[in-house]
Amino acid sequence: MTRDQMTDPDSRTDNQATDGGRESLANNDLEGSDPTTDPLVDSSIDVDKSAAPSGSESRTVIESRDLDVFYDDVQALQSVDIDIPAEQVTAIIGPSGCGKSTFLRCINRMNDLVDAARVDGELLFEGKNVYDDDVDPVVLRRKIGMVFQAPNPFPKSIYDNVTYGLDVQGVDGDYDEIVEDALRRAALWDEVKDQLDSSGLDLSGGQQQRLCIARAIAPDPDVILMDEPASALDPVATSKIEDLIEDLAEEYTVVIVTHNMQQAARISDKTAVFLTGGELVEFDDTDKIFENPEHDRVEDYITGKFG
Amino acid sequence: MATDQRTGDWYGTDEAVSRLRGQAFKSLCLGATLLALVSVFVLLLYVANDAFRPLSADIGWLLTFAASLLLPTLGATGYYYTRDARAGETAAIALGLPVVSLLLTGGVFITLEHIVTVYQWASIVVALAIAAAVVFAHGRVRTSADLERFIVLVAVPIAALVLIPDLILSLPMLPTEALALLGSVVVPVAVVVGWFVRRQRENDRDGAIAAGLTLVVAAAGLGLAPVVGLSPFVWMLLVVVTAVPVGLYVESVVRRGAGTAGLAFPVLVAGGVIVGVVVTEALGFAGPNSWLDWGFLTDPPSRTPEDAGFYPPLVGSVMMLLVIVVSAFPVGVGAAVYLEEYAPDRGWWGRLVDLIEVNIGNLAGVPSVVYGVLGLALFIRQGGLGSGTALVGGFTVSLLILPIVIISSQEAISAVPDSMREASYGMGATRWQTVRNVVLPEALPGIMTGNILAMGRAIGETAPLLIIGAPAVVRIAPDSFTSKFSAMPRQIYTWSSEIDAAFQHGVLAAGVMTLLVVLLLMNGAAIIIRNKYQRRD
Repeated sequence: MTRDQMTDPDSRTDNQATDGGRESLANNDLEGSDPTTDPLVDSSIDVDKSAAPSGSESRTVIESRDLDVFYDDVQALQSVDIDIPAEQVTAIIGPSGCGKSTFLRCINRMNDLVDAARVDGELLFEGKNVYDDDVDPVVLRRKIGMVFQAPNPFPKSIYDNVTYGLDVQGVDGDYDEIVEDALRRAALWDEVKDQLDSSGLDLSGGQQQRLCIARAIAPDPDVILMDEPASALDPVATSKIEDLIEDLAEEYTVVIVTHNMQQAARISDKTAVFLTGGELVEFDDTDKIFENPEHDRVEDYITGKFG
Repeated sequence: MATDQRTGDWYGTDEAVSRLRGQAFKSLCLGATLLALVSVFVLLLYVANDAFRPLSADIGWLLTFAASLLLPTLGATGYYYTRDARAGETAAIALGLPVVSLLLTGGVFITLEHIVTVYQWASIVVALAIAAAVVFAHGRVRTSADLERFIVLVAVPIAALVLIPDLILSLPMLPTEALALLGSVVVPVAVVVGWFVRRQRENDRDGAIAAGLTLVVAAAGLGLAPVVGLSPFVWMLLVVVTAVPVGLYVESVVRRGAGTAGLAFPVLVAGGVIVGVVVTEALGFAGPNSWLDWGFLTDPPSRTPEDAGFYPPLVGSVMMLLVIVVSAFPVGVGAAVYLEEYAPDRGWWGRLVDLIEVNIGNLAGVPSVVYGVLGLALFIRQGGLGSGTALVGGFTVSLLILPIVIISSQEAISAVPDSMREASYGMGATRWQTVRNVVLPEALPGIMTGNILAMGRAIGETAPLLIIGAPAVVRIAPDSFTSKFSAMPRQIYTWSSEIDAAFQHGVLAAGVMTLLVVLLLMNGAAIIIRNKYQRRD
């Protein structure tokens, strides 16, 4: 399984070196460039405390405790602590190679497919550590749907694409109805209702990505993970996907990784900022992050001074 | 910036950069290409000339066919090439498909004549149908018992295949051969045709019509075939293996409405042949005294060159290919799937896997004569199988092509994008579900292409057959996998050492041409499959 660029240890190390240098200049903080003894890890606990009141409005679905991820000897995540609330959109932003995709892939254990990846710490889904020995990753992934960066429909018909999850999960029911419902919720039904038997690859890029979203929601998961779902799309398709994500948050917990800070500001309720070295620097309500972040590094990143 | 006042010419007009070495290199490469092509082509022309002896025909015969066949064909080719490329594509397939399907019909005929009798085949079909029904019914009744379901899925077909065929064959009354063929070949093909058309047209009625038409036309042979001088048996095979694919293709071209002009090409060729034959018969021109004629394909080998035929080796090659398809492909594809999808790629086990993969590559380069010795030691000395049988020949050549099958299948599987595997795992699919639903369907065209090319290699192998003791001459086509057989290249080798020059030049050339045509067709099929599925992206 090839790692995508985000989690490639080589590119990560490069970013770490350059950004670490810039960051110590900006903060005038020499320790900040050392990923292992970073004092900002402590401050992330403060963020958790400050996030707790707003998090208590809604139930926590996913929480990580002291989560470390390594690719061979390279550390991709450093003791991440986060509480992701139910039925809201949580955006994860940060520069390239900061580990945001890695974190997303930890949630549904997609990193199991990367032989080099090793996970320490706890990641709790509905109160259960998903890395416990008695957790079957396949069962976990049936509860947590995923949409990938590049649209990746199967070379099957549109109908078969949407029913794929139902087939492999052995879901009973009226497939025609489920397909129509999933495609409607993915805002694709009106465009494809007359060509359900044609190949999913015949659709445009934006339609393909909405098909992938329909495929992910068809088996009715609890959580939907999105790994930069709009990064390969043009602005019109992007805005459609964004509208869709806001609608989805009424029923699902959505965790979305994005490069695009405006996008995070537009659609998310909560925002987590990962910075170089794989540390979660700040996690709070989106308004707070974009208007009055606690950390100078986050402000620098958001205002475009680095990253 | 660069607005320096240049007094001379514009840049580069006074001194161009030298291309001499590049040109020389290009010419050398072109020369190498031409040398390779020309040397092979000359050899082929030489052999074809020996096999067909076109110059032994009357001048009138040659001129007649040039006028009736060659000129119209060339004219049409020119038209397609310059004016209507789409029709040209149609023309190539419309001419090739009938030829290929006719040859396939011959292959099926040989199989049903010598290898599996119609009754055996029918009883196998009945057994599998019963097994499928039992498995399906069990799945309906016991929906959740996974292990039990798996055991039923494996055990019932095996039990059915062991018990039911013998039971049926021991019945006191069996239907006529034609009726058995109707039930066991025509009906399944009609069902497949109906399903295919229904899926293509998304219309139940069209599917039913296509299936019904296939059935009716095939069944009409029971009454009509004797009128045109064929047995109902051959009629049905022609309908099912030749007419059905050609009909489906013609229908699809007409429906698409693009390149319909290409359909005229096979008519032109066939018409040219008929006109040529009629005219030369009427005027009494003698045709070429060709070594490769119908008699050569249907007669057994003989001591006199004029009577020598190729039929038993043809049957032997078909039998050997059957053994190879059944033995090498499942093993090879299975190994490829394991190495690509399951084998560890890190740690000590990963290194072992790397070592194995490197050595599979090495095995692909081991000379075929060595595999012959291996087959001799393994299957004949150790395994106790009879020497020179189709079974041993097929097994030995299977060993030889196994590395090729594994490597080409591995390449096809690793060409499946990882994003598709991720999508599948992300939907909560198990590894098995991912391999079955995503990886294998996507890799199948590539696997098939590689396997067909490996078959092409297998059908031409000679040395292993010599070592395992395939007889120099087989006068009666083998009727079982455990009787002595000869294959096409083995027979050609025999002819090459005959003293009579007519064998060495004429009969041998005819055999070589037959072998090459079979090879070309197989490689052509592989290319068509590859192109068909590549274009989709």
